[in-house]
Order: sequence, then structure tokens, then C-alpha cells
Amino acid sequence: MSDHAAHAHGAPTTPWPLVISIGILFLIPLAFIFKFVNHQPLAAFVCLVIGAPLIIMGIAGWVREAIGGAEFPEMRGLGFSAMGWFILAEALIFLPTFASYWIMRLNAPEWPPAGTIDMPTVMPLIMTVILVSSSFTIHFAEEELDKGNEAGFKKLLMITMGLGLTFLLMSMYEWNHLFHEGFVISTNIYSSVFFTITGLHASHVIVGLGIFIAILLPALNGTINHVVVKTGSLYWHFVDIIWFFVVSQMYFW
Amino acid sequence: MMNVLKDWIFTTDHKKIGLLYLIGSIAAFALAGIMALLMRTELSAMGPTITNNPNDYNVWLYFHGAAMILGFQIPALTGFLANYLIPLQIGARDVAFPRVNALSVWLFYMGIILALMTFVVPNPPDVMWTGYPPYSVLTPGNTALYTFTVLLLGFASILGGVNFLTTITFMRAPGIGWNQLNVFTWCTYGAFILQLIFVPVLGTAVTMIMLDKYVGTHFFDPSAGGDVLIYQNLFWFYSHPAVYVIFLPFIGIVFDIVATFARNRIFNYKAAIYGGIGGIVLLAGEVWIHHLYVTGMPDWLRVGQMVTTLMISVPVGLLFISLIGTLFKGSISFKTPMLYGLSVIFLMLIGGLTGIPLAIVSLDLHVSDTYFIIGHFHYVMAVAGTFSIFGGVYYLYPKFTGRMFNETWGKIGFWLSFIGVNTIFFPMMVVGVTTGMPRRYWDYQQFPEAESFHVVMTVGAAIIALGFIVILINWIHGMFKGAPAGDNPWGSRSLEWTTTSPPLAHGNWEAVPTIKEGWGPYEYGTNKA
Repeated sequence: MSDHAAHAHGAPTTPWPLVISIGILFLIPLAFIFKFVNHQPLAAFVCLVIGAPLIIMGIAGWVREAIGGAEFPEMRGLGFSAMGWFILAEALIFLPTFASYWIMRLNAPEWPPAGTIDMPTVMPLIMTVILVSSSFTIHFAEEELDKGNEAGFKKLLMITMGLGLTFLLMSMYEWNHLFHEGFVISTNIYSSVFFTITGLHASHVIVGLGIFIAILLPALNGTINHVVVKTGSLYWHFVDIIWFFVVSQMYFW
Repeated sequence: MMNVLKDWIFTTDHKKIGLLYLIGSIAAFALAGIMALLMRTELSAMGPTITNNPNDYNVWLYFHGAAMILGFQIPALTGFLANYLIPLQIGARDVAFPRVNALSVWLFYMGIILALMTFVVPNPPDVMWTGYPPYSVLTPGNTALYTFTVLLLGFASILGGVNFLTTITFMRAPGIGWNQLNVFTWCTYGAFILQLIFVPVLGTAVTMIMLDKYVGTHFFDPSAGGDVLIYQNLFWFYSHPAVYVIFLPFIGIVFDIVATFARNRIFNYKAAIYGGIGGIVLLAGEVWIHHLYVTGMPDWLRVGQMVTTLMISVPVGLLFISLIGTLFKGSISFKTPMLYGLSVIFLMLIGGLTGIPLAIVSLDLHVSDTYFIIGHFHYVMAVAGTFSIFGGVYYLYPKFTGRMFNETWGKIGFWLSFIGVNTIFFPMMVVGVTTGMPRRYWDYQQFPEAESFHVVMTVGAAIIALGFIVILINWIHGMFKGAPAGDNPWGSRSLEWTTTSPPLAHGNWEAVPTIKEGWGPYEYGTNKA
């Protein structure tokens, strides 16, 4: 930790967790409440403007402190298995939304419910190919890193991020297309589930890309933490696997 | 001064973070207690007493439930006690991810801030802590505040769970095997597994409510093909295991207290760990439907859930046998923490034994949603949980302050609270069975025979409040004026008492402690310490 030496006997301190928490409070709850409960979009916008920079600043500061490795030797290398526990929790965010979908769909007198349009099939297939190939590229990036080829690692990491970004842009295009067809979140229960689950998945892609940015920027400055790379890559594989459930249940069932 | 403040709000030290959790959760407890006093005063006589607006009662009820469970018990047990004790008990110099730990405590505080906004927004949430649709979707109350409070506290719990599971798995001092862990550490391990599996489900459920109310989805809207029972199932799929998230750490700290003050080994250690804790973790997710017996379901489902619910009493029974066996032939000293420890055994017994008939469908259908239920779950969860938290604070008090509290006033505070809780919650069960008065009513004109009971209960609430004030003054007074405690005032063999009181701010010990062959945290009467 940064000022470890300065506090030889005091515990190390860091402002970033507090900064991020305040950012989260503004960015999500307060902005949402102002926009949707109080109907004050300007106040909501102010909350976004306060919250987003705090979070970005907090993460940047945190990464700068932490990328060099943990303070005590026994703490090093634990991120990977911690990510395993975290993924268990993440999977259980998706499970209830899918379970609700299955219950509603299997109990419905008719399916698809009124208001549903013909869902596109080509676009989701292309998106699947892109996301799956990004899982491969990040794996190859890890292999390059294990071989000691840092330049190759950075190149493959950037390709992965490009694929992830393309996926996100295609999701946005897809949503936009559906909105224009008159298929919006409040249309019927199918649209409710569709936008909730695809939105939830897209938010995980954004978090994954955030992790990659937090790996790439220090890497460009010459600091690569192998544990963080493996951890981020594990998360990305998880996001990829979840997509199989999303695409098969939402588009092709 | 600025340096002291900075040391606290920017801290990554698990002990300071634990104390921050303690301060926040005691504040939540005090506020939730004030809500309870308001409700009790309102119910002390028939007709409107202190408010003419029934919705005020709903808001108090919301805040009381949400703050007690999400703001007090879970953070005090899995935040304060786990944070303070686990690294010390396993001989670690900090948790695996100190910064994540700090993030988790500050998210908890942001959740508390959102909960406090209940008192300033024009339409406060009035959805109890359960938030059942369709009411929570249709109410003019601010359901988004409820959702976000749950989400922030839940996210804090998940981060805590990830952190502590990793810590216990990988950061035990060399030489501490799985069978040499304190029961508290084991119990918390089980509780965090449950948190990781079930908290996200609650988060999803309350988010779906918010989307329904504000964004226009139809998850719980029957007119569009949605299903309100999905919410009830998702909610109790989390909230029944939440009882075990509370139960496991609190029975764990009671184990540590009882073993220390009985100077005895844990009776049947492995049966308690693998049978008791393991059994609860395995069964926790298969019993939630007993909360929904009256919502209408096929009989085979009810009977199946009755069986799994009754099965829970087996692992709980194993833990009880261990506790009683630990007392057997022990050299017991009745210090204040021990009074709390022993009272939890008694309170759990009342709460647990009234739970068994509730598992039985044919009986539950008749007492469901009466005061009997409130009496039952307050005994088993609220009172037993709170007593073990207070016992845990007294137990650790010399460690984290370096000073002793006043033993006499500690005992007075204990007896006031103990008499108070029994004065309030035993009549509740009686009134539920004899008059059938339903819960959540702000007035009870139809149940005039319940009035005398309600007067007694309100007196009980006042006694608890008095007891809490005594306890709080004793804690604060002892911090400044108490006699120095020494490193190990209770004579425990457990690892947390081998460090100084308070422990070194940075790293707990000068170096990772060395563990002798055959050491165990409960090896009394041997020379292996």
C-alpha cells in the first residue's frame, strides 16, 4: 500500500474505497430516485456528473495502489479463487431472472404474448461468434504472458477489448432496432424479461471491459500483475458462458 | 485530530473496519428500537394513540424490520464480529483483501444513509422489510429507497463473503488445520457461503419490483401474465437462509463464550461442525416454502417442505447437544458475557421449540400471520441474535478497548434486557394463540381482549429500552474509565487472546504466530497452549 513506509507502525490507509462508495451512492440510487421517483431529470443528471467521476477516480487510484501486489506475502495470489466465489454470487443474480422467465412462460396461456415482434436471428448469432472468439483471444493473451511475450499479450488483450466493445455496440444497435419496431420494455412480459436479462448481461460486459482497461493501462506503463490478468480473464469467460444461456433462452426458444 | 479521522475513514485494518461496522449497526439498532417503541406505544391502547395516520405505523414497521435485520444483525455478526475476530482467530495479519473490506463497510454506510432518507422523503417506503407486490408496486411510498438500501447492503455482504471465504481458506497461520478452527470461524464460513448463494437472489427480486414500479416491466403484474408469487418465492428463497446467516455466527460466538467461561473443550466438535453447520448449510435452501403455506399450493409440496423444515431441527439439535455438553463438568464462571451466552441457549430453546409446530402445515395454517409468529421469530432470531451480539461485544470488549467494563452494571443491563424481552415476546405468543390477533395491525378494535396483553408488552419494551441505555452507558464509560484489561482477561486458550489488547494496529502480531503441534483453541486442562 502506498504510504506503507510512512506509517511504519500504523495500519495502511487508502481513500479510494470511500470515494468509490460515495460515487456509487450518487451514480445509481440517487440518480435513479431523482429521475424515476421525483421526476427531476436535472437533479438526476447532477448526481451522474458527481458519481461517475468519483467512481472512475476511485478505481484509477485503487488500481495504481494495488497493481504492484499485496502488502503481506501470504495475501498474494488469492484473487483468482476469490473471483470463483464472486462468480458463484454473480451466477445467482442471473438464475432468478431466468427462473422467473421459465415460470411465466410455462404458465402462460399463449406464447409469445401479444405485442411480440419477430425476433432477429442473424444478429444474435454474429454477437455469439464475436463474444466466443473474445474468450479465445483472452486465453491466448494469457498464454503469451506465460511465455513472457508481453507485447503479444497487450496486442491480444486489445483485440479482446475491441471484440467486447463491438459486442456492446451491436447490443445497442439491436435494442435500438427493437425500440423502433415498437418492442419496448413495457410491451409485455416477454419484453420485460428480454430487456432485463440482456441489459443485465450487457452490464457485465461493461464491467469486464472495465477490468481489462484496469489491466491494459498499467500494462502499457510496464506493470503487469499476472494474478489480476488471470482473474479478469476468468470473469470474462463467465460473462461469455452466461451469454449462451441468454441467447438460447431469449432468441432461440 | 485530522490524522485520527484519516486513520479511521481511510483505514484498511480489519479491526477498525469491524469497529466501524459495530458503530453503524448499533446506531441502526437504536433507531430500529425507537421504531419499536413507537409501535408499542401506538398499540398500548385501542384506537389511535400517538398517530391518526395508519400509514405512519407501516413506515415504522418498515424501518424496524429492515434496520434490525439488514442494518443491525447481519452487519453486527458478519461485519463486526467476523471482521474483528476471524483474522485474530486464524492467526492472520489482515483479511485477504483489505481494500475490498473497506469498500464493503462504506457501502454498508451508504445503505444506512439511504435507509435514513426514509425520514426525510415526502412518501417514505411503507412496504415492511418484505416488500411484497402488488402493494409495493402500487403504493405511493418510495419503494426505490427500499430496493437500493437492500442492494447496497447486499453488495456489501457479497464483498464481505468473498473476502472472508478466501481469508479463512488461505490465510490460516501455518499449523492451523480445519479441525483446529474456532467454532465461530467455522460458523461464519457457513454463513458466508449462504450469503454468496442467496443474497444475489434477493437483490434480483427487489430490483424486479423497482423495475415494475418505475420502468414499466410486468414481472409481478398478473394482468399482463406476471406472477406475484414469483416474488414471494424469490424473497423467501433468500430470507429463510438469512435466518441461518444470522443464526450461524450467533451460535458460533456463543460456542466461543461458553467454552471460555466453562473452561472446557467443545463437546462433539466434529459432529457440531460437519453435522451441525454442514447440515444447516445444506438444508438452508430447501425450506423456504414454509413461509408460503397459506398462499395456496399443492399438498405434496406443502408436505415435502414440512419434512425438510422439520429436518433442520436435526443439525440445530447437534449444535445444542454440543453446547450443553460443553457446559457439562465445566468450571463455569458467570461473568456478563457468559450470562448472555447462557441466555441465548434458553431463548433459542423457546424460539426453536415453538418453531417445530409452525413447520407442521395443519397447525401453521391456523396461526399463520398472528402474533404467535411474531413472538416465535423474535425469540429465535431477534432476541437470541441480539443477545449473542451483545454477549460478543462484552466478550471482545477488553480486546478492542484494552479496558474492562463495569461487571455489576453489565449484569444489571443484562437482567433488565432479559426480563424485558420475555415480558414482551412471551405474551405475544399467548395473544396470538388465544385471540388470533393478526400481525401488522395498527389498531385492534376487533380484539378487545388483547388490550391487557398489549399493555404488558409495552411495559416490556420500555424495560428493554432502559436496559439498552444502561448497556450503552456502561460500554462508553468503560472505554475511558475502565481498569486496564490485560491481554487475556478471560483466560481463554483461543488465538485472539495471545496478542496485546488492543492488538497491534498494523498486522495484529509482530510476525505470523507459530502454532505448536497439537494446539487447539479449546484445549483447557492440558499443557498444549
